[in-house]
Amino acid sequence: MGEGAVTATIPTATLAGPEDLDGATRAALAELLLALADDEFVLGFWDSEWTGIGPALEEDVAYSSIAQDEIGHARALYELLAALTGRKADDLAYDRGPEGFRQARLLGLDRGDWAQSIARRYLYDTADATRLAALAGSSYAPLAGLLGKVRREEAYHLLHFDGWIRRLNDDDRGRARLTAALDALWPAALDLFTPLAGEDLLVRAGILPRPFAALRGEWLAALAPIFAELDLPLPARRGDDGAYTPTVAPLTGGRDGNHDPAFRRLHDEMTMVYREEPGANW
Amino acid sequence: MQVYEIFKQEREGEAMKHAGNLRAPDDALALHYAKEFYSRRGESIRLWVVPRATIAEITDPDLLKPPLDRSYRVPAGYKINEKLDEARRRVRAAAEARAGARREAAGTVTGDR
Amino acid sequence: MATEVLHQTDQGEAERRAAFFAHIAAGGKVEATDWMPDDYRRQVLKFVEMHANSELMGVLPEREWILRAPTLKRKLALTAKVQDEVGHAQLLYRVAEDLGKSREEMWRDLLAGKTKFHNVFHYPTETWGDVGIIAWLIDAAAIVAQQALRGSSYGPYARTMQKICWEESVHIMHGRDIVLTLVNGTPKQRAMVQDALDRWWAPIMQMHGFRTPPEKDKDLAWRIKAKSNEELRQEFLAIYVPRILEIGLTIPDPELRYDEEAKRWRYTEPDWDELTRVVTGHGPKSAERLQFRQIHYADTAWVRDVILGEGPGALAAD
Repeated sequence: MGEGAVTATIPTATLAGPEDLDGATRAALAELLLALADDEFVLGFWDSEWTGIGPALEEDVAYSSIAQDEIGHARALYELLAALTGRKADDLAYDRGPEGFRQARLLGLDRGDWAQSIARRYLYDTADATRLAALAGSSYAPLAGLLGKVRREEAYHLLHFDGWIRRLNDDDRGRARLTAALDALWPAALDLFTPLAGEDLLVRAGILPRPFAALRGEWLAALAPIFAELDLPLPARRGDDGAYTPTVAPLTGGRDGNHDPAFRRLHDEMTMVYREEPGANW
Repeated sequence: MQVYEIFKQEREGEAMKHAGNLRAPDDALALHYAKEFYSRRGESIRLWVVPRATIAEITDPDLLKPPLDRSYRVPAGYKINEKLDEARRRVRAAAEARAGARREAAGTVTGDR
Repeated sequence: MATEVLHQTDQGEAERRAAFFAHIAAGGKVEATDWMPDDYRRQVLKFVEMHANSELMGVLPEREWILRAPTLKRKLALTAKVQDEVGHAQLLYRVAEDLGKSREEMWRDLLAGKTKFHNVFHYPTETWGDVGIIAWLIDAAAIVAQQALRGSSYGPYARTMQKICWEESVHIMHGRDIVLTLVNGTPKQRAMVQDALDRWWAPIMQMHGFRTPPEKDKDLAWRIKAKSNEELRQEFLAIYVPRILEIGLTIPDPELRYDEEAKRWRYTEPDWDELTRVVTGHGPKSAERLQFRQIHYADTAWVRDVILGEGPGALAAD
């Protein structure tokens, strides 16, 4: 059987827990979990900033639930990671310097105006849907099990933001703000699919069913008909093999701990109380 | 913006109950907001989301509680106790009469012997 | 029988009023679509509007701490609590809107300082200890008042209070849990929560309002609310003073004690001038919080204008 066929024939969920992994695969899985968790965690933080100041009280409440969902997903992912590394979920979340965070560049940017928040949510939620669809078939049972549930919650987020994209796009002023926000965010959004260190190990073990480069193509292919329908520019082109590749240079580095200065400010604020009495119960 | 009235069912088999209302710019957001406002803590298993403008209301007591007698429509409109007592008395009396008649007939037979 | 009096349209105005207030006095309820005297409508509107404003402004002191909450659970719980307050503001503005004043008009009046909000939301939050004290004791003081409001003569308000009270009971647990964790924590944490209580006690004692004689309180006479300010304060003290003391916190009032003979709590006379100053917009954070609201309301005016179809953003146009 050739190397390429491996990904397709791995039966799903054959790895019951950390004890089924060798050290190198474990380390690679830890990188994957940290990336997934930090994406959700940091996005949840920015989104929770809208709580109390949303454009309308009803939307404020809806948006806050979504922010809480993301923090909840991050918490569950940190717990999976805790089972791997022995560090508690709260310590993972609060006891790291800003350079220790692994979220993609998209999530390191601040929330901006409503159009930027919506545009980021839409790019993130569609990318996440692609990622989750693949990872639901992960051979690592705890991850497949958790992400199956996460996916059911994320489906509603996507529905909500798909509606918002359309509402914004239906109006000249809304469309102007939306397209400006999308333009600004594309390079950083592509970082969601930057290959992870040790990714090949994860693919070989069936933990990550397909490499991130392939997932990026799937994501762009899913967006293409929607962006065409909405007459929004999609910075990607379809190759002769049918695969989509981006036409803008990605802004990378998030997975290595490089972030926008906005994230340093956020990190400072979010660890402010924790740092007052490190290790204490709160 | 319009107002939507929300009805919720809290447990299987229960009636839909008015939960409250909210404002939304369109039906799709009204559904999202209904879920947020009336089942954020998982307190509903079903929601009805109804534009308020489509609800017609009747409050006129002349229609709802007409002034003339309609007691024949309600259980309390039927005073059956006296009639029931009378019926029971009648049945008892008839039973006693029959028993008396049987005793008399039996006495006659005995007497014949 | 209950609502018949509200529909007898062939009565003269005076009889109709008399019948209405007799209905209220007998414990009757009023619905949004019922006939009601203008002064009753105005009085309910004013009361509910201030309540809605308070929920809306009450979001701000705690919102500052959403980003700073020190654990994942606290982060989630605090976000959910602030979200509840936003939700309560929405529910209450809906009640007020159905009495005839638009939400936009109410926001405009609030931001212009024409209408009021509760005294406690005019003060700063200095530490995480404040987050615990607010969620526990401010919410407890509020829930005492709100439970009584479930008996309001205005039906939509009374029903909204049922939902709100249910949600507030979670906040009190969240707050009490924070305070307990702090008093059981390090000396620095204990000092933090005691300091918060020291600063918040005076505003809490003022929160239920002046000791207006019940017979002069129109809200009470019309059963818009069901208990007098002083009854509410006494109720709060009866439940919470023992709960505060049993966990080793000190209440900064040397006069505070239960008078067995009079069957009431005695306390140092609250600074009523301070209450008046604060609720008329001269509290330590009044201007800053209103300005904060104004800035964010203006920032999102385009969303309401374009997407939510609300016409020109109420404030942006000013």
